[in-house]
Amino acid sequence: MKRNLLTVVIGAVLIVIFALLLFVFQVRQSEVAVVTTFGKPVRDLTEPGAYFKWPWPVQKVYKFDQRVQNFEDKFSENLTADNNNLLTSVYVGWKISDAQSFFPKFAGGSVPAAQRMLESMLRSAKSAVIGKHKLSEFVNVNPQDLQFDAIEGEIEQAVQAQLSTNHCGIELKFLGFKKIGLPESITQAVFARMTSDRQRLINQFTYEGEAEAQKIKSAADRQASEVVNNAVADATRIRGEGEAEAAKVLPVFQQNPELANFLLRIDALQQALNQRSTLIFDERTPPFDLFTGIPANPPIH
Amino acid sequence: MSDEHAHHHHDHAAPVSADDAGSQALAEALRSSFAIVKIVMGLMIVAFFASGFFTVGPQEKAVILRFGRPVGEAHKALLTAGLHWSLPYPIDEVVRIPITEIQKVSSNNGWYLTTPEAELSGEEMPAGPSLNPAVDGYALTADRNIIHSRATLYYHIDDPIHYVFDFVAASNAVQYALDNALLFTAAKFNVDDILTRDQAGFRDAVQQRVSDLVEQAQLGIVIDNCEVQSIPPRQLQPVFAQVTTARETRNKLLNDAHSYENQVLNQSGAQATSKTNAAAAERARYVQAITAEAKRFGDLLPQYQGNSSLFVQQTFVQAMGQAFTNVQDKLYLPQRADGKPRELRLQLNREPSLPKPAATP
Repeated sequence: MKRNLLTVVIGAVLIVIFALLLFVFQVRQSEVAVVTTFGKPVRDLTEPGAYFKWPWPVQKVYKFDQRVQNFEDKFSENLTADNNNLLTSVYVGWKISDAQSFFPKFAGGSVPAAQRMLESMLRSAKSAVIGKHKLSEFVNVNPQDLQFDAIEGEIEQAVQAQLSTNHCGIELKFLGFKKIGLPESITQAVFARMTSDRQRLINQFTYEGEAEAQKIKSAADRQASEVVNNAVADATRIRGEGEAEAAKVLPVFQQNPELANFLLRIDALQQALNQRSTLIFDERTPPFDLFTGIPANPPIH
Repeated sequence: MSDEHAHHHHDHAAPVSADDAGSQALAEALRSSFAIVKIVMGLMIVAFFASGFFTVGPQEKAVILRFGRPVGEAHKALLTAGLHWSLPYPIDEVVRIPITEIQKVSSNNGWYLTTPEAELSGEEMPAGPSLNPAVDGYALTADRNIIHSRATLYYHIDDPIHYVFDFVAASNAVQYALDNALLFTAAKFNVDDILTRDQAGFRDAVQQRVSDLVEQAQLGIVIDNCEVQSIPPRQLQPVFAQVTTARETRNKLLNDAHSYENQVLNQSGAQATSKTNAAAAERARYVQAITAEAKRFGDLLPQYQGNSSLFVQQTFVQAMGQAFTNVQDKLYLPQRADGKPRELRLQLNREPSLPKPAATP
């Protein structure tokens, strides 16, 4: 009995496993799946997990990679609105957004086929959008005039619009310029212009350096002489103040101008006979007047 | 238990038939092989569950997909280095994500045709008169100059669920973003800003643009660093170098002028100070002298008023005495006895006259 039970359990487990293999399938995180009943798409599975289905030949499951795919188009030449030839290459990130639409559109849901179609859509969208913009909208110092972002956006919208009208089940995730260039002959002309620009800069720097330096130096000289002149004026004022102060003392000498006069002369004499001088004198010069005779006591009146 | 049962049966059956020995041996063999099968089955069950153990290396992370759906949300889904266990296939599936901590992509889209080896050895192809768009990359600047610019971006994966499960080639998408950022940023910077004046600003703008793009695309990465190198076209290298020289010369001239300015201003300041100081000193001295003079006058006035002629004589003689001690030569000429004035001849020592120029007619 016990052996029978074991056999039954094992048998049941095997049957369950077999049934699961037939009836259940998984959708991985990165996938979407389409379930067809006798070839007709009936269910669209975008969330990962385990799902039931009827076994073959009733239902069949098609799985697609729903991750973002990248590609870049060929570096190709287009004419801008102001008749400049511009070479551009654009990269695109896209993914399958609606597997049920995508699946019948491309044989067996072929990704390369989808990419070929995207490339041709991109080619026409690019030439249309670039033709509407001037070169100055691709490169510009002024942020208001620069439309780099906007141009990328327009191309993306144009492609996306075509995808939607054709019900491709494809969504663009991002699009941008990968490479921008000019025709080879134009680069030579650009080099010539750049060279003359550089030459102008060299001249400007040379001139600017000398002129500026001269300006700085002469300004410094002017300022310096101003400072010195101010100082001279200050010095004169200071001396004047001294004289004014001295003038207050002068009335003292007014008390006896004779004495003042005498003292001045004495000082002058002393200063004059200070050094390296030769004095010729006779007996009338005091104190040598002593040679003429000893003075007696003055007579008493 | 079945062994016991079998024994019992054997004990009874032995006497019944002798040729049972053959079937008995067969049963014995069957029993032992059945036991072996059971052991093998047991081992297989153990192995089945043990197969759920797996290790995650230091250079990778792992995610368990249960029925195709990641176990855990965002960061919690990530298994780090170590031993882990999952349910066996087909219930669970382990996805390994190889990540070194820092990832790196480089953009050489805006660079001329070269190889790292040629660059290192300095044996690059010489630059032609123009750039062939098929092989030479470059960027157009806002003022329509051509420059070469390349970049290396360092980043780490912040959200591997997005990075691995949402993109077929996520690192390519990062690379595209970097290519685009160089073009986009160059398109709004002037050539001189990119090459000299604002290199850091250009670099920051490139990084900002990459950061915006990867966020928009939800790549699940964080940018660590971005290195940008920009050069003028090789064809124009000499003339660009001349501009640099001219700019440096100008700066040197300006620096010299500024140092001259400093020097002159310092000098004039010092001169001014010394002039005003001298004036102040002179003023002080003058005032002091005249004040002293006035004091002396005041002191002498009473004496003078007492006996003016005596005072005058005294003072004069005193002054003469002092003068005589200072005088270098003193000549005493007494009056002539007859009272007539004496005639005195002075021969002043003149400078020797210069010799006359020879033979002047």
